[in-house]
Amino acid sequence: MNPSASSPIARSGLPSLPTPRPALPSSARSGIPAAEAQLPHEAVGAPLDGLDPAWSRLLTVDTLDGPRTFHVLDTGPALQEAGTSPVGTIVAAHGNPTWSYLWRHLAAEALERGWRVIAPDHLDMGFSERLPHDRAPRPADAGLRRIADRVADFDAVVTALLAEGASHRVVTIGHDWGGVMSLTWAARNQERVAAAITLNTAVHQAADKPLPASLAAVLAGPALPTSTVHTDLFLRATLALAGDSLTPAARTGFRAPYLSAARRGGIGGFVADIPHPDTHPSYSELVQLGEDIAGFRKPALVLWGPKDPVFIERFLRDLRQRLPQADLHRFEKSGHMLSEQEDVHGVALDWLARQFPGGTVSDDTVDATAAEAAATPADAAPTTAAGSGSADSSAASTPRYMFTALEENAASDDLASVDMSQNPPAKLTWREVNDRVRALAEGLHDRGLQPGDRVSMLVPPGNDLTIVLYAVLRAGGVAVVADAGLGPKGMTRAVKAADPQWIIGAVPGLTLSRVAGWPGRRISVDALGSAQRRLLAVETSIEELVASGTPASASGTVVSPDRVPLPDPDADAAILFTSGSTGPAKGVRYTHARMAALMGVLRDFFQVRPGTSLVAGFAPFALLGPGISTVSITPDMEVTKPRTLTANALANAVIDGEATMVFASPAAYHNIVATADELTSVQRESLSRITLALSAGAPVPLALMDELAKLFPNAAIRSPYGMTEGLLLTDIERAEVADALTDSDGGPGGAQGVCVGCPVDGVRVALAPIDASGTPSEELLEGAEARGILGEFVVHAAHSKAGYDRLWKTDRESARDTLDGLLWHRTNDIGHIDAAGRVWLEGRVQHLITPPAGPLGPGGPEAVVDTLPHVYRSAAVGVGPSGTQALVIVVEPSADVAAQVKEGPASLALSSLVRDIVAERTGADVAAVLVTKTFPTDIRHNSKIDRTRLARWAERALAGGKAGTP
Amino acid sequence: MTNPLHVLVTGASGLLGSSVARGLVELGHTVTTLQRRPSGVDGARDVQGSVTDADAVGDALSGGAELPSVDAVIHLAAKVSMAGDPSEFDAINIEGTRTLLTAAKQAGVTRWVHISSPSVAHAGSALMGDGASPASPTRARGDYARTKAAGELLALDADADDFRVLALRPHLMFGPRDAQLTERIIDRARAGRMPILGDGGALVDMLYVENAVDAILAALPALERVHGEALVVTNGQPRMIGELLSRLALAGGAQPPALRVPTGVGLSAGTAVEAIWTRLPQSAKDAGDGEPPLTRFLAEQLSTAHWFDQRRTRDVLRWTPRVSMEEGFERLAAHYGGVTV
Repeated sequence: MNPSASSPIARSGLPSLPTPRPALPSSARSGIPAAEAQLPHEAVGAPLDGLDPAWSRLLTVDTLDGPRTFHVLDTGPALQEAGTSPVGTIVAAHGNPTWSYLWRHLAAEALERGWRVIAPDHLDMGFSERLPHDRAPRPADAGLRRIADRVADFDAVVTALLAEGASHRVVTIGHDWGGVMSLTWAARNQERVAAAITLNTAVHQAADKPLPASLAAVLAGPALPTSTVHTDLFLRATLALAGDSLTPAARTGFRAPYLSAARRGGIGGFVADIPHPDTHPSYSELVQLGEDIAGFRKPALVLWGPKDPVFIERFLRDLRQRLPQADLHRFEKSGHMLSEQEDVHGVALDWLARQFPGGTVSDDTVDATAAEAAATPADAAPTTAAGSGSADSSAASTPRYMFTALEENAASDDLASVDMSQNPPAKLTWREVNDRVRALAEGLHDRGLQPGDRVSMLVPPGNDLTIVLYAVLRAGGVAVVADAGLGPKGMTRAVKAADPQWIIGAVPGLTLSRVAGWPGRRISVDALGSAQRRLLAVETSIEELVASGTPASASGTVVSPDRVPLPDPDADAAILFTSGSTGPAKGVRYTHARMAALMGVLRDFFQVRPGTSLVAGFAPFALLGPGISTVSITPDMEVTKPRTLTANALANAVIDGEATMVFASPAAYHNIVATADELTSVQRESLSRITLALSAGAPVPLALMDELAKLFPNAAIRSPYGMTEGLLLTDIERAEVADALTDSDGGPGGAQGVCVGCPVDGVRVALAPIDASGTPSEELLEGAEARGILGEFVVHAAHSKAGYDRLWKTDRESARDTLDGLLWHRTNDIGHIDAAGRVWLEGRVQHLITPPAGPLGPGGPEAVVDTLPHVYRSAAVGVGPSGTQALVIVVEPSADVAAQVKEGPASLALSSLVRDIVAERTGADVAAVLVTKTFPTDIRHNSKIDRTRLARWAERALAGGKAGTP
Repeated sequence: MTNPLHVLVTGASGLLGSSVARGLVELGHTVTTLQRRPSGVDGARDVQGSVTDADAVGDALSGGAELPSVDAVIHLAAKVSMAGDPSEFDAINIEGTRTLLTAAKQAGVTRWVHISSPSVAHAGSALMGDGASPASPTRARGDYARTKAAGELLALDADADDFRVLALRPHLMFGPRDAQLTERIIDRARAGRMPILGDGGALVDMLYVENAVDAILAALPALERVHGEALVVTNGQPRMIGELLSRLALAGGAQPPALRVPTGVGLSAGTAVEAIWTRLPQSAKDAGDGEPPLTRFLAEQLSTAHWFDQRRTRDVLRWTPRVSMEEGFERLAAHYGGVTV
């Protein structure tokens, strides 16, 4: 079940390998003899890297064709030696062309944690007995050991080994062929098996789907024996999938049992048994296995490396459908050989520890539901909107949704949404928005959209996106909101991970999704001609669904719950994505209840009343308007580039939409201030109507706030703090920023970093103190105890995330706190809370600097340096070993001096200036000041500085080498 | 000082040695100094002679007629130079140390503070926040580092419960009147002969001379708690080499170095100069400051990071530098009539 051959490998992105030599040793052509099982260290003459000889044993059991001898990796004896009675046994099945060596890391880590690992080498594989073959195996060969036989072999070995010790908890794990085998064995032995884990595998090969190109090539005729048996091409290609993470010693370990053609019969045998096409002898057996696996009711975990040329997304989808209870973690950067690339074994054992807390040996089959309930904090997940401002209390029994406010305004002919990117600007009333949402929700429902179906929305911000979002929510779908700010690559990865059943898109988005081969039913925004419709595989359009909808006169102004049932408030409503500035963007799940709670908090926060109207300078914010009963206006700008919002475009939006509020990112505000000279007096006058200017994406420096106060003389300038996982957590107004800076002393606990104000109503901000090595503690502090110390902020709010999507590990780590039995979120943001209870941000956990004097957040020094003349922004990074790092300040000069500044070490004068002010205000010693003209940042906001990259650059420069640019 | 000792300071005619001897006197210790020229330390018994001279060493350790024999030795005497006759380095830095160690043990000395150099463990690669690695005569660069490495190993080998040894490795000392490094850099900068290699970005830490004195004085009480190890001693404030050289030059009243040499050129030039320097006539050698303009070792020192983890040093010595780098430059500027920027 793995790739090979030359050209298809190149096509599927595999490393290309030399074509096998045509002249083959004659022995390879004439049959393969039987051979006895061996102990790896005896066969090789030395222990293999990472594989303790004490774990290896030979075991002879009865199989369908008589007694056979298997090599088994078994840590039972080692555990016994250590005097540990096992917590349980992990039964592991490897795939093709690997062997039990694949599980060496698992064995080592499991030993530490008290689990026994049993990992047999399949017959004809690894160091197990070799079967005779008349010739290199081909699919139709009689006498081939097929999947059904192999499951029986596996059962025979495992049953014999499990009988050795006292009866205890058994779980399975598998990879590749071993995934199917172990899952099948688990499903057929549910009375014995407590849980199952699988890595990349395929349960089902649908007869109507072509094989992945890489695999089709291996199976095609004469290439099969050549690539699998006569040469080690298949083996090498598989190992190459592990990339650089495989050390030469590990590579030697993987290849050790397969050094000659006579040892590779099993590799060919496995490939020949890939059940394709449906006339294949093993096809019906695999269909049966798949059905059995679907009957598995115990807890399951899928660990998946998406960069796998063979086990592509559709196999994962199939697996998820068979095992709907399964937790899933996607290691976005890894592929087929993920167990060599990631800490897969650690995650698997963490998961087991959560499934079976206490780690005690028990004969009872654990009640998995109870275990999971115990492990998951009983959150106050609200079924009604929380937040003090949430609507009338009489509605407490009826759940609110994000779309409730829209429905409440359904009869209004006032303006609801203005899209300035259209010419002329597209304006819709509440009634018009609502009519479209209703028609579309009903249309989607009629077309078969099921509650929980995911809908990817590849629609640019504006009226269309607003309507699609609210309709999808009302129809019970889950809105997958991957915005273009992630970049095409990031967006592709995000949508693939979310795996939507539906795609609603404008032509560019549909084209991208078509080219990238995303699955799902497809609906365009505009009605398309038949050629384009075919090309993009589109079944209908929003335009058509809206046009053909039942008129409001017949159907009522809002969707009737009898016609389309209201969604479960605790069901997922939306998947949003993090910016991806620290690795692949993470999907963040919000339930309907949490979205409703967010609307409540926002409505309070925006002080929404009749006549309020919002310009969304960061386009996705326009989506919030209908949810909080305010008019939303999308200005004319490049959606992906906040910096393209000019003062002129903003003023036009304010005039056209009679706006009272502006919501934009700091980068956009910077540009608005920079282009303010272009404003006519009428435009300038219009800005005096603004009563609230809000920033999001990153904290706003006071200097910028002061500039904004000049532009918006009647506005409160507010800078809330939040993140994708909790959009609104704290908030501060301009005057409060100035107060915070003056009434806090410098030094820890005072004015260090950026003040983001106090928690908004309904938000609890706790602190996990950071130790000398830079690690946040497991214990949370609140109130007076939390004042004046550096820590990671951990937050709880009814409107924060429900969890991460398909990232079991990430989710567990971020939600590991259980204070007061609530669901908390580890923000990864560090800082302190001052005596007045204000939150000060000092950076991210991974950007902590650890000088000998103690850990330091970069935000403290940066906030000080940013106030110096000719400094646009700065970044504080640490170089050298943890605990004794040197503090380095990197400066991006302001545009006026950028041309005269040399990249690299700063001038003596600038160095002194920076060093003195940082020492005075934070007490930290600056080792070096470097200058670079442009900081690496994220695309979405152009605000998040890539400090990790800057730190690597600084380290190169300060080691004495040629640094280049960051 | 609760327990006054009789301390022998070798090499007390230099800036560091004489400052240490004075500090000991101030702390109430009995002090003997041993070096070839008069130490000029008031309140100390001065013995003139070389550490290679067994008689002078014996005399110094015995305490003479009036004083009891020596309890502790602070061994600073060494041949310090970037070039020179290898046998001279061997004689002073290895054999001299051996002679003194043997005699000290015989004389009943129980404490030994060995002044060494970070170069004993520096093979030329970048050091960023490293601790004190073991001295290695075979890997150390140049005769000075090689022989100091051998000397440190001798001292640490001699360590025992009744002969407690700590080796301190002060890193790139600077301060007013320091002739070994500070004034050489200033003089070369004045003559326009001070190069900055590459971007001058390599991070390096130094040690202000008064801090060095404090650290060495702190080693005597530290020996009651810890012995048998080597500690690098620095200000714990690494700076970029280009910045350090510029600030030293400015404080010394010179212009900052304008001579920029690509790193690769500097390294090979250093190697070449080293090779011919030993064969030059003495008159040619004396034309400058008696040191070759650029050795490979110096070129490496000027182009690669070398700064050290000070946590263990400060823990063991219970010492922190009193004078910051910035204050050090101020004091230097005040002394030489230069400026700080």
